[in-house]
Amino acid sequence: MKRIIPGKIFKALARAWRVTDQVARDRATGAVEYEAEERENIFSILVLGIFIGIPAPPVQVTLELLPYMEHELQIMTKKITTAHDPLADLFSVLDID
Amino acid sequence: MASGMGSRINFFVGKGGVGKSTVSALAAICAAGAGKRTLLVSMDPAHNQGDIFCVAPGNTQRKVSRNLYLQEIDTDQWQKRYLEEIHSHIRKTYLYETAFNLQDHFNVLRFSPGLEEYAMAMAFEHVLENSSGMDMIMFDMAPTALSLRFFALPGITLAWLEQLLKLRRLICDKKKIVSRIKLGKREYETKDRVSEKLESLIERHTRLQERLAKGCAVNLVMNPDPLSLAETERIYKRLADIGIGVSCVVINKAGTKGAAPGIPAFAKGLKVTSLPVSGTPLIGMNALTSYAGDQAEALRVFYQDKDRGGTTMRA
Repeated sequence: MKRIIPGKIFKALARAWRVTDQVARDRATGAVEYEAEERENIFSILVLGIFIGIPAPPVQVTLELLPYMEHELQIMTKKITTAHDPLADLFSVLDID
Repeated sequence: MASGMGSRINFFVGKGGVGKSTVSALAAICAAGAGKRTLLVSMDPAHNQGDIFCVAPGNTQRKVSRNLYLQEIDTDQWQKRYLEEIHSHIRKTYLYETAFNLQDHFNVLRFSPGLEEYAMAMAFEHVLENSSGMDMIMFDMAPTALSLRFFALPGITLAWLEQLLKLRRLICDKKKIVSRIKLGKREYETKDRVSEKLESLIERHTRLQERLAKGCAVNLVMNPDPLSLAETERIYKRLADIGIGVSCVVINKAGTKGAAPGIPAFAKGLKVTSLPVSGTPLIGMNALTSYAGDQAEALRVFYQDKDRGGTTMRA
């Protein structure tokens, strides 16, 4: 059976659909991802706060979890760069100009 | 993890200098003499048992007489080993360890508050795991402050762990939402290692808490003087706050000139046993065995089977 839509146009439409789909999914999850990252940051501060001068849980909790928290340490380090302007960070996620 | 479930455990706790080491040594000698395989473990960083028995005990069980074994716990070594294990684990799992400069932090962490009592807890678990053949384990504990922190450790840690696990599960739920939307049908169910670790720590500390609260006898050793009495009462109340009951109060050096007679008010309802001042220094097996023989009735409370009568005073 002959295709109704020529091959090249079909491929272009498919590619456009994939891009649109990805953009829509990213927009849908942007706020949730931001929330998850903030909660991870809070978790990092609670567990690893001893490294930045904040009172922390019993030291063995920090030490036992430390081998599994490289990602959280990276988030905490990254947060330091935006710590001077947290509102700008939030507005960016919520798409407020 | 802890397999010494069949062993009867006695802790000897009290103010520094009241005679915990001597009382625990006497109790161990009596128990061993009654045919019970007994392990006497010194958890006091300022070890005395080697001086009392005139032997050189080590970090492992050493036989000192028939049925009696001695072990001294080196908490510094436990702390060092623990930090090395964690650091080695990090080196294997982290990509950017040098970037975070964790080595410097580890050099400072060994002085962290909390590590000493955690080292004691690890040593305690290790002793239980390796004492399955023992009928009795007597722990000669560190002075008051460190001992209380040891007993409080499981409860405090569990309070933190449960809150952290709650927060971690919230984070994982959010991540699952994101992955379901982004990946559609291709969901990748990856286990969260941090949650798994938190669950395993909760299980371990719960077991430790139950063992300390239900499976052990805590004996308070005191001298018949006002300072010792006041501190012993504080220890009793603090242990009650943590949920640990006291089995027996030992009045050591009873009959000392000027000592306050009678049973302390807080000890009403508890077993109270009294050991008089010895005329000779209680150093060496012969002196200890002789005194233990003279005071056998008073020392029976530490190893006799439950519900068996004795001549111990009851307040």
